[in-house]
Amino acid sequence: MNNDNASSLSPLIHLVDDDAAVREGLSLLIATVGLRVQAWAEPQAFVARFDRASIGAIVLDVRMPGTSGLTVLEQLLAQGVDQPVILLTGHGTVDMCRRAFKAGAAEFLEKPVHDEVLIEALQNAVRQHVRSRERHQADQQARERYAQLSAREREVLGLIVEGLTNKEIGRALALSPRTVETHRANLFAKLGAESLAQLIRRYAALVDAP
Amino acid sequence: MTPHKAWRRRFAGLFLWALAAGAGAFWLAHARLQRLQADFETDARIVHRLLSQRVVQHDAVLATLALLQPPSAPAGADATLPRLPSVYPQILSVLQRPVGGGWPAAMQAPLAAAETASRQSGHPEMALVDLPAGRYHLVLASTPASYALQIDLRATVPQDEWPMDMAASPVRVALEHGGAAFVVQPGRVGDAGLGWSYAFRKPLAAPSQPLDVVALRRVGLAELPWLAMLGWCALTAALWAGGLAWWRQRVARQRAEELLRLGQVARLNTLGELAAGMAHELNQPLTALLSSTQAAQRLLADEPPDLITAQTAMGQAVEQARRASTVVGRLRRLVERPDLAGQAQPLPLAAAVQDVLHLLEPELARRGIAPEVSAAPDLPPVQAEPVALQQIIHNLLMNALQALEQVPPAERRLALTLARPDAAHVALSVRDHGPGVPPEAREHLFEPFYTTRTGGLGLGLTLCESLAQAMGASLALAPATGRGAEFVLTLPAATAP
Repeated sequence: MNNDNASSLSPLIHLVDDDAAVREGLSLLIATVGLRVQAWAEPQAFVARFDRASIGAIVLDVRMPGTSGLTVLEQLLAQGVDQPVILLTGHGTVDMCRRAFKAGAAEFLEKPVHDEVLIEALQNAVRQHVRSRERHQADQQARERYAQLSAREREVLGLIVEGLTNKEIGRALALSPRTVETHRANLFAKLGAESLAQLIRRYAALVDAP
Repeated sequence: MTPHKAWRRRFAGLFLWALAAGAGAFWLAHARLQRLQADFETDARIVHRLLSQRVVQHDAVLATLALLQPPSAPAGADATLPRLPSVYPQILSVLQRPVGGGWPAAMQAPLAAAETASRQSGHPEMALVDLPAGRYHLVLASTPASYALQIDLRATVPQDEWPMDMAASPVRVALEHGGAAFVVQPGRVGDAGLGWSYAFRKPLAAPSQPLDVVALRRVGLAELPWLAMLGWCALTAALWAGGLAWWRQRVARQRAEELLRLGQVARLNTLGELAAGMAHELNQPLTALLSSTQAAQRLLADEPPDLITAQTAMGQAVEQARRASTVVGRLRRLVERPDLAGQAQPLPLAAAVQDVLHLLEPELARRGIAPEVSAAPDLPPVQAEPVALQQIIHNLLMNALQALEQVPPAERRLALTLARPDAAHVALSVRDHGPGVPPEAREHLFEPFYTTRTGGLGLGLTLCESLAQAMGASLALAPATGRGAEFVLTLPAATAP
């Protein structure tokens, strides 16, 4: 890597293949589009030690001694790993392809893989990962803000989400419309919502959750 | 199948056989008995009719005598009375009671009694009956003189018209009267244990001579058609055994076919495994090679080009190309066949063709194909390795059969021709009547993995060609003429020892 400082922020591709020459070749190719590559020869070492927080994707060879790529894929999914997985195989059968997608593979490519196909798949995977991480972060933030609400504010939020007016909420909770209005202003402030629409979009799912 | 079940099946089979054999044997015996009885009854009726006709003659003779009243001459001076016995052999003598006279003194009383009875009944009456000896007198009362005949029953029996062989026939025929009997034909009616008997009893159709015709036939067990019955049993047993053998053979053949099919599947699996292994072994260096060169391309296209990294990438690419060629070399050595030319031996091509046709008989029969085999006379043996030769012929025939599946059964023709194109070679031509080889496929036909069949491996003809070449033979697709495809296998003729 010619520029370690700058690339530490660029997406990281984990490449798992037991063949050294394949690792070298693919690493070189992937690096030409500015993606960082970490190559692993041992599937189990990779599963045990790779950086789960990194943004990027995983490239897995299906046929490896010891643990097959499909098994590794299943392990990763079971552990909640969110990096998209691209499977590479020497002889892809329809059956294996079906199994791969069923197990949650993002892409299934045949060896020898053409550079454009691989790079496009990697870029798609990285984009997908970045988006999913952003969505995840937004969810996380929403959960944290929701946790700050008082019990009464949550009740009021629930009724707002159901589409009730202040007056109706006051009747339902035996509160004066003025008090309801105060709760409403407070929860809008606490949740950082700028409009009713935004409030409902972000928090409707959390209201039903315990 | 449990031993118990097997035993039960065997027992059921045996039982069925016994039933069929027994029923057949019973029917044969029954038919024979019925025929014997019918024959007996016919014979008895004929005997009754013949004897009745003869004894009625006695009445006629007496009536004629009574009408003509020939005088009785002392000491045979007159010819009429004594002449009768020479015309009717059963009439031993003729007696006359002249007017006012009497019967001969010795027989006066019985004859006179019979004459009295005859005068009352109006027909002749018997007298002085001695049935065991077959003698009796028949008296007819008439006026003025009465007459009597002395009858010999033995002579009454018409020997020439008799329906049976008197000495040998098993039927006993007797004439009975008043508890005594005259045996006409002795027959064989000894009390020979088990058996059947038929009886016939009917009075003669002559009121003057009330004799009963009694016929008796005893049929012993020995007279049953034993030979035919045993023959029938043996025949059914043979049929049963034959059917069983046929069934077993069928089962065995089905099993063999199943095994063959399994073997083919197993071989395909092995082949698939080999192909997968080969794909992986080659794919690894090819993947590395492709990615290295493509990386180098991209590095060189950079502005400025990263020459050093590109050079490293190219070095790796060269390395991987070598590795791929090593894999191919290793694979070749792995599947290399032993030297076929060294194992070649002189063998008759026609026999090899027949062997393969025999192997493929079920396949041929299933598709309704009768191969037409023609061979030039005096073909020399060919120099070939027997198994490889069989494999080539087998493959060619299977291809032909599969081609013929695409045409209607009535048009399926398969011709095998053995010829001698020149002194040093013998050629086998396999020509089918199928759709033929499309023009665009002709030149690729022998290439590995080229196939016109969906699901075909595309290795059959390639294999045949390499086998043929390894034996010093050649395999070619004949130029398209007319319908179907023709493959010609040209083999070196074995040099005379």
